[in-house]
Amino acid sequence: MRFFRQDLHALTGVYALDTLERGTERDRFTRHLNRCQSCASEVRGFREVATSLAFAAAVEPPPELRDRVMTAVARTRQLPPEVSSHARPRRSRSSVPWVPWLSGAIATAGIVIAIFFGLAQAHTQAELNQARAVNQQIVGVLTAPDAKLLTSRTTVGGSAIVVLAASRHRLVVSTAGLPALPAGKVYQLWLIGRVKIVSAGLLPAAKAGKTAPVVASGVVAGDKLGLTVEPAPGTAQPTTTPILALPLPV
Amino acid sequence: MNPSDSDASRFRSASTDRRGEQDLDDLLVHVARGDQAAFEAVYDRLVGPVYGMIRRVLRDPSQSEEVTQEVLLEVWRTAARFDPEMGGAATWVMTIAHRRAIDRVRSTTAAAERELKTADLRPPHDEVAEAVEASLDRERVRRCLDGLTEIQRESITLAYYGGYSYRQVADLLKVTLGAIKTRIRDGLIRMRDCLGVS
Repeated sequence: MRFFRQDLHALTGVYALDTLERGTERDRFTRHLNRCQSCASEVRGFREVATSLAFAAAVEPPPELRDRVMTAVARTRQLPPEVSSHARPRRSRSSVPWVPWLSGAIATAGIVIAIFFGLAQAHTQAELNQARAVNQQIVGVLTAPDAKLLTSRTTVGGSAIVVLAASRHRLVVSTAGLPALPAGKVYQLWLIGRVKIVSAGLLPAAKAGKTAPVVASGVVAGDKLGLTVEPAPGTAQPTTTPILALPLPV
Repeated sequence: MNPSDSDASRFRSASTDRRGEQDLDDLLVHVARGDQAAFEAVYDRLVGPVYGMIRRVLRDPSQSEEVTQEVLLEVWRTAARFDPEMGGAATWVMTIAHRRAIDRVRSTTAAAERELKTADLRPPHDEVAEAVEASLDRERVRRCLDGLTEIQRESITLAYYGGYSYRQVADLLKVTLGAIKTRIRDGLIRMRDCLGVS
């Protein structure tokens, strides 16, 4: 077993250079990457090396290519962000090693309660990997040097607790005390921007009046964080008056 | 919900700021919001390495243009999936580009068109020297490649620029699969340290 794992670890290089052919070996290594932090960070570093190799080979393409690409872009719909949240918060577990790094202000503000989601709740490997990925994103936001804590009451009661990491264009939202919704309705988050309004995902179902943290990506200067009540499973654009419109200091 | 008047006025003033100095990660976040001016800035910054690398792998200029276009469209389409925690924007784009190039190589028709003689697999030196204004990147990378053992250098360049699977690389260099994995990894570690990648 030990040999087997070392064997897998040695694949970081060939994986990073995309020289591992599709198939069982690559699938096995991809699964291993989700569990092996040191492998993942090695692959990240190697990919940067690969990027330098690409830059070293730079050649300007024929200028017509630019027009062709821009024409195609103007006709191509973009994918929405993948919204990540912990789907089924069931019990909490406080074995989160990074809590001591949090600044006092953040730690005392109650967000810590909200971030005990997790790993223990996952039922399958896929859920576990998903939970780990979300945890990493949340840790990334909370430990960003410019992380800011914002709290705001909604117009219908209850409050939102937001940690904003402007440098990472991300924020983490959890809520407490929002009114329970009738069946078929959901709370939906929005980034209300200069140019448009984009969905930032749904709040998960509340447990004991609190909702587990949700990560929203793609925050830019001038955005406000909005919250509305929408018909399940959420809408493409808001259809009701926001109960929260929190300016984000980006 | 109706955007307020102030939201409407911001609408007009948006995306007129300076693009050149914004870093790529920021630009990609704007791209994810459908900002075409930001996309043009990303294009201008990255199309050279994307196209150059793809041409190194595929050789054929018209196929390379095609794949370059596919890559840039994918960047546009999936910009919202870019995760800065996983590395910088340039690395994200180059990873997409290299994968696309490899997929093209491994598609059967392209494979049939390629010469499978070892002599043809080496990165042609004239191409390296092609740009007379040897860029800093080029110099730095060349210096770091020179610091590798011959087998490390050959396996990395055959894998990355040649687009060969590591089994093929092992076959070409007449070494075992295990040895290739280790050579590539050791070589990349040296490159990483030499290039000062954190």
